Amino acid sequence: MKENSKLSKYASIFEDIKASDIMASKVVALTADKKIAHAKEMMKIKKISGIPVIDDKKKLVGMISIEDIINALEFNRINEPIRNIMTQKVVAIGLSETLSEIVDKFENYKFGRFPVVDDQCRIQGIISKEDILHGIIEKFNLIYIHDKKRSATLNSESSIITGEQLKIDEAEFHYNIETNDIGKAGTGAMLLKKFLKEKKFNDEIVRRVGVATYESEANVVIHSRGGGDIYGFIDEDRIIVRVLDNGVGIEDLDKAMKEGYSTAPDYVRELGFGAGMGIPNMKRFSDKLVILSEKNVGTHVEMIFYLPSQTTP
Amino acid sequence: MKKKVKDIQEILEAEVLSGEDKLEAEVKYVGAADMMSDILALAKPGMIVLTGYTHPQVIRTALVTDLLGLVVVRGKYVPPETIELAQQNNLLLMRTKNFMYSSCGKLYALELQGIDERKF
Repeated sequence: MKENSKLSKYASIFEDIKASDIMASKVVALTADKKIAHAKEMMKIKKISGIPVIDDKKKLVGMISIEDIINALEFNRINEPIRNIMTQKVVAIGLSETLSEIVDKFENYKFGRFPVVDDQCRIQGIISKEDILHGIIEKFNLIYIHDKKRSATLNSESSIITGEQLKIDEAEFHYNIETNDIGKAGTGAMLLKKFLKEKKFNDEIVRRVGVATYESEANVVIHSRGGGDIYGFIDEDRIIVRVLDNGVGIEDLDKAMKEGYSTAPDYVRELGFGAGMGIPNMKRFSDKLVILSEKNVGTHVEMIFYLPSQTTP
Repeated sequence: MKKKVKDIQEILEAEVLSGEDKLEAEVKYVGAADMMSDILALAKPGMIVLTGYTHPQVIRTALVTDLLGLVVVRGKYVPPETIELAQQNNLLLMRTKNFMYSSCGKLYALELQGIDERKF
């Protein structure tokens, strides 16, 4: 990896992002027997600069780029089949290649886009630089740090989001979620809300903190099997809430982020929870959200709520 | 025209279980939901929510989202813990014999619209 490249510098932070996470899975592809003119029209309509060429089993056999089209136009070959001019030595990305590997490919081969293939070389998607950018932006709200990084981050006393010192014993608010009783879920969030109201924070932010904490607390009660803790920190310009548990962890955070996805048991659903809105609601009501989770080890949530400047107490 | 809690209470022939002093309050928004997470996602401060859910949890949800109050439909049994929690926090809690659908219909006919329709 080139150290001087900004892209590759950020790639190391986001190395858990895989090709399959960021690729566009709706791919425009053509078979090699189609006319070059057909590819030209496709590029025009779809506003793209390269098209993967596949065989009838969706196996990648080449690429045709806008340069190839220009050459074909110049030499009047536009009505020939694509196979006559396509690039056959194609650089493809594997589904599980990481962001840093992908960025390396962009830097080493100056192509605008790369096809993504499965282990049998069948086309699965396509990645352009914009897709990388979108992938990174999406992860900014939500960084899922895998096992190896987790313990290092969890054991430090700095904020996962800002890197600032956050000593748990200096938290202004602490509530121990000691119960698995779903009927009591939300008690900590209510107390935190009351605490913030007494501190004269504005209603809107107190409400946002309340809702997001409530959802997080409900997750601890429903999923952790063993309780957890809510910590509240007040800073000059923000409120930080941490919800920690040592429970079962989240197996697939991407799925958990989707509205309507839930692994909650039926008895919880009967109580009006488990609608699959928990994490989406936490994201909706907080300004920054980070979730660290490892299966069977626990979940660590940090949420930041920025104070509107004029209402800072 | 502005609607008050009292208007809702009258048309639904609702019994007031808690928060009697809110009867004169203006109702800005009305909604209906049984899923707590849906209330958390969509509720507005000052809203009245119709629900079939009577566990004390619904009171916590209402308090966290700054609801004006709740109306339990279908004349369902409301556990004393739920009423107690509402009373402790002075949250409006009413109960009507009307079913969810008819309750919503009656309120809609009062020109109380949903939050997806109301112009803010």
